[in-house]
Amino acid sequence: MRKVIEGSHAVSEGARLARAQVISAYPITPQTHIVERLSEFCADGTLDARFLRVESEHSALAALIGAASTGVRTFTATASQGLALMHELLHWASGARLPIVMANVNRALAPGWNIWADQTDSLAQRDTGWIQLYCEDSQEVLDTTLQAYRLAEWVYLPVMVILDAFFLSHTYEPVDIPDQETVDRLLPPFQPRFHLDPENPCTFGQMSPPGVYMEMRRSIQAAMEDALLAFADVEEEFSRVLGRRYGPVEAVQCDDAGVILVTSGTVTSTSRQVIAELRARGEKVGLLKIKLFRPFPVESIRAALGRAQKVAVIDRNFSFGASGIFAQEVRAALCNLPGHPAVFGYIAGLGGRDVTTAVIEEIYVRTRDAEAPKEESIWVGLQEVKHAT
Amino acid sequence: MTSQPKERPPTSLLIPCSYLSTESNKTGSWRFLRPRYEEKTAPCSAACPAGEDIGRIEMLTAEGLFHEAWETVLRENPFPGICGRVCYHPCESVCNRGEFDEPVAVHILERFLADAAARFELQPALERLAPRTEKIAVVGSGPSGLAAAYFLARLGYQTDVFETMPEPGGVLRWGIPLYRLPLVVLNQEIALIQTLGVRIHCDKEVSPQSLVATGSSYDAVFLGCGHSRSLRLKIPGENLEGVEDGLRFLGRIRRGETPVLQGTVAVVGGGNTAMDVARSAARLGARPVVIYRRRRQDMPAFAEEVEMAFAEGVELHELETPVAIRRRGGHLILTLQGMRVAGEDSRGRARVKPDSGKTREMDVQRLFLGVGAATAEEWQDPPPKGGGVLSLSNSLLVHEPGHPVLVFGGDLVAETKSVVHAVASGKEAAIALDLLFRQGLEAVRPRLQACLVGGGPSLSMEMYLGGSRSLRNRRIVQYDDLNTDHFRFAPRIMEPRLLREERLRSFAEIVLKIGANLAIREAERCFNCGLCNDCDNCQLFCPDLAVICDRKAGSRSINYDYCKGCGLCVVECPRNAMVLEEEALCARS
Amino acid sequence: MQPETMDREYVHSGHVGCPGCGAAIAMRFVLKALGEKTIMVMPACCWSIIAGPYPQSALKIPMLHAAFETGGAVASGVRAALDVKGDSETTVLAWAGDGGTFDIGFQALSGAVERNENFLYVCYDNEAYMNTGVQRSSSTPYGAWTTTTPGRQWKRLRKKNIVEALVAHRIHYAATANIAYPEDLMGKAAKAKTMTGSRFLHIFATCPTGWRLPSEMSVKIARMAVQTNIFPLYEVEDGVRYTINFMPKGYLVNEYFKLQGRFKHLTDEDLAEIQEMVDEDWNLLLRKAGMAPA
Repeated sequence: MRKVIEGSHAVSEGARLARAQVISAYPITPQTHIVERLSEFCADGTLDARFLRVESEHSALAALIGAASTGVRTFTATASQGLALMHELLHWASGARLPIVMANVNRALAPGWNIWADQTDSLAQRDTGWIQLYCEDSQEVLDTTLQAYRLAEWVYLPVMVILDAFFLSHTYEPVDIPDQETVDRLLPPFQPRFHLDPENPCTFGQMSPPGVYMEMRRSIQAAMEDALLAFADVEEEFSRVLGRRYGPVEAVQCDDAGVILVTSGTVTSTSRQVIAELRARGEKVGLLKIKLFRPFPVESIRAALGRAQKVAVIDRNFSFGASGIFAQEVRAALCNLPGHPAVFGYIAGLGGRDVTTAVIEEIYVRTRDAEAPKEESIWVGLQEVKHAT
Repeated sequence: MTSQPKERPPTSLLIPCSYLSTESNKTGSWRFLRPRYEEKTAPCSAACPAGEDIGRIEMLTAEGLFHEAWETVLRENPFPGICGRVCYHPCESVCNRGEFDEPVAVHILERFLADAAARFELQPALERLAPRTEKIAVVGSGPSGLAAAYFLARLGYQTDVFETMPEPGGVLRWGIPLYRLPLVVLNQEIALIQTLGVRIHCDKEVSPQSLVATGSSYDAVFLGCGHSRSLRLKIPGENLEGVEDGLRFLGRIRRGETPVLQGTVAVVGGGNTAMDVARSAARLGARPVVIYRRRRQDMPAFAEEVEMAFAEGVELHELETPVAIRRRGGHLILTLQGMRVAGEDSRGRARVKPDSGKTREMDVQRLFLGVGAATAEEWQDPPPKGGGVLSLSNSLLVHEPGHPVLVFGGDLVAETKSVVHAVASGKEAAIALDLLFRQGLEAVRPRLQACLVGGGPSLSMEMYLGGSRSLRNRRIVQYDDLNTDHFRFAPRIMEPRLLREERLRSFAEIVLKIGANLAIREAERCFNCGLCNDCDNCQLFCPDLAVICDRKAGSRSINYDYCKGCGLCVVECPRNAMVLEEEALCARS
Repeated sequence: MQPETMDREYVHSGHVGCPGCGAAIAMRFVLKALGEKTIMVMPACCWSIIAGPYPQSALKIPMLHAAFETGGAVASGVRAALDVKGDSETTVLAWAGDGGTFDIGFQALSGAVERNENFLYVCYDNEAYMNTGVQRSSSTPYGAWTTTTPGRQWKRLRKKNIVEALVAHRIHYAATANIAYPEDLMGKAAKAKTMTGSRFLHIFATCPTGWRLPSEMSVKIARMAVQTNIFPLYEVEDGVRYTINFMPKGYLVNEYFKLQGRFKHLTDEDLAEIQEMVDEDWNLLLRKAGMAPA
């Protein structure tokens, strides 16, 4: 059924249709609409789940670790400070190989308080062993939430479904919401390979000395490697029924492009428009959307970017002391490819600053006209600061 | 399992998850101290001259196993009914419970067991050895002779007891009044000895010499004839009418005579005989006054007897002694010399000297003497130490080749003259004779050592016969060795007695029976020092589950594979039935 | 206690608790009372190590190791999962030390209790961060040496009263218990098992290693804590009804302190001050229980 819904609610519908059994959440702008809608579903019986109104995000994820270990499907959502607070347990969830699904609304980190779009929060957690999927629009958000469960329960890794604050979470779009029967066929009930069971008692998570720990870590990476293949299979299954797929990356007019822009999240939408206009003017420009960030789809990226001369990565995030994070990962993916393109890194839109068509066009022109990247990162649109301490 | 395409194997899932228990860690290797179950000796059993296993008796009584408890007494003492009534219970003076609240009323429980056995006509199953050929004669059927016969019969010997009086019992029958020891009890306990095959011949006066002369071939003769000749005061007027030997007076009462007394009667002496005479006189209508040359605390009579006498109206005049008696009219005038304390002897008893000038006269109807007794015949005196004489703790053995072995026992050799010492004497004599016959004279002393309870001198027949009691450590459990956290204060049972007014009306037994519920409750107060009573505190508190209890067998053991030697079991054992020792490095497997 | 309860065991030998470990005794007793339909959540504490390394376990019931501060929250999640699966019989047991309860774990515990989550939370209290080497926690008593309150800086702050803190939440059931009083402890665990809503047991569990005490004195010293009124045995229902379970003789505190190396620096004046504090706290408890002060 097609409905105009808010981006946040696309997440809620996804969790509802997936029949999440235990939801545990703590409110933080701009995630609140996601969990409020789920709260309503639980209250009116639309969703048969237990909703834990925990007292912090750390406890929210802790509760899901307990619930998932007991063998049920789980869900939470957070953003920014909340995600940062969960950090310890993000490592725990993946180390415990629990198929938890969490939506993260990309919001800037404090201080100073900033509730608007910024990807640093989720990217700062890139080492925690979670699969990360960045969404561009509400339909993708709903579809990705459903696929996240299938993927998580296949490879036994937790999955983060990521959407931009306000630009995606609080805007309304028409979304095709599949019916429950269809989703039930795509997402059978969760049957855990392990769980806490008095009939079959076992201790989980005990001390693992140097002689055994490394193999457990290798197992997590093995699962990540499996996830690359599994993601394709899941998309295939879903696409056959729902008629939509997104791919780990999406290449737009990259085959003959001299410069390829690399984007993620809602910046991708705006970039599609800029690419169309530039092409109309004869520019040989392409666009690569990165959806799957962990595991990083190295082969897909090499295939898409390999023949271009230049690549311009637009990062709505930063790793202080280094560079934009998508740029880092793209450079790493390309560095061993003979004749690989020069990678230009651009920082734009931090703290919710608008990334307009003009900004994107400026990025293209600067890349096109530069011989080689002179700096690691070019911060676009910075204004003169008059007062500083 | 969520379906996956068949070509793909399940994703690697190596997580920290258990598939073994920790039992492969043999934490016993950590140990440098090792606990062990080791029963020890309770102070009461060592203080009891008969070496009764009192801790165990009370344990069985507390569990309601009266038959087994009674048998446990009988193993060491054939007279629970008698001793429960007349013993001065040295066990209670050393009872560790006394330091906690009040000592356990051991004698009340012993009497209860005898009463229960009589009431339910219980038969004991006692350990006995195979019959031997040696024959033993016992002279005197007092407590020491009867005890000797009892233990000898259990060791397999044919025993004949010779008694001059018409009925057996010695001082038990003729000396101790009925209000302390009823006849039916005495007769029952003598009968039990006879069921073992002991033959008692009354109205038969014998001596070792007479036995030899009549051609009887006894291999040994036990002399338990006691001190049947009362001592005299050796003062003028001692033979006047109205002056009577105390023991003889008691004997007359027991033969059925009930002389009517009235007015004041004096009893000279401070021992149990003097107390028995005074209290008997009170029942016959007199007002008894006891005259004693020393102080009250020096009196050899058992403290309880003295208290009971006072409760019955008996008066005591300390530090006085009669020096002359004369008659006036129908009564006697006593001249009493006051005495004064002139130092104390090694046992704390006063040495007294006449307090010159302090004399007075006292007017009494009768005068009874209870100043001690001695042997009636010379052959009853034990010989001085010398060749062929083996002097043991409670008996004296004379071994001359060509003659039957002579054993002097009972009051003839005892320092403390009591029924339980007599029993100890009879037991020691029986075991000594058995050792002599089986292994020779040289074996007697060392093998007796092996049966000592605690540090001795009490002996245990059970140990002699190889019972499990021999496995116990001889160390005596002190109060500080116990963990009294596990006990609650509980008052000692009150001995039920006739009212004071009722007591003097007759010679009826003063102390009354108690019921099983009270007996159990009192027996539960016993700490069972050094004995394991299956409380399983050790198993309860072990942090390593290294104590294994076999509920069916009622036993427990330490699993040394896991025991870390923390010592909690040893400390939490309320009754010190465990020990913690250094782990011998070489003994570790 | 039923004989069946007394005989069943859910802990294996071979665990790596110190000799005389009070926490091991506490675990044995609680699990005996709760039985096999129990799932345990265990945040970081001594027992995280005592339970054994991969691939072993010292426990016969399912157990989930959890991060230090998450006891209350993880248990809430396990409970929710069991409820959604239709299992109302299995007891969810959170098992934590004093650190994971009084300090870092307090938020999660408070949150869970405020929501009246249906679980039993047991805190075994050895009065410091023992697993990491005897550092002080808010449950360390007044007067104690620890590695972070050494020498003259011995702890001059009173022990936090965790039961009263939870009573302020109107917790359905909270009680103290002690390894030296096994019947009382097991009785309370069994009673708590039959209830629903949040239940809390505060168990006094000696640490001979950290308290500098011979291992064989573990249980005796725990008993003394009750006998001196330092650690009274009581229950509170619904945050209002107080029941004192045991009226001890009120022995003076001196011997309790003198037996433990962690208190050996205390002078007689210090002990007199401590005696006053203990008396004050005991009288306060008596008032709450509706009894006249001693």
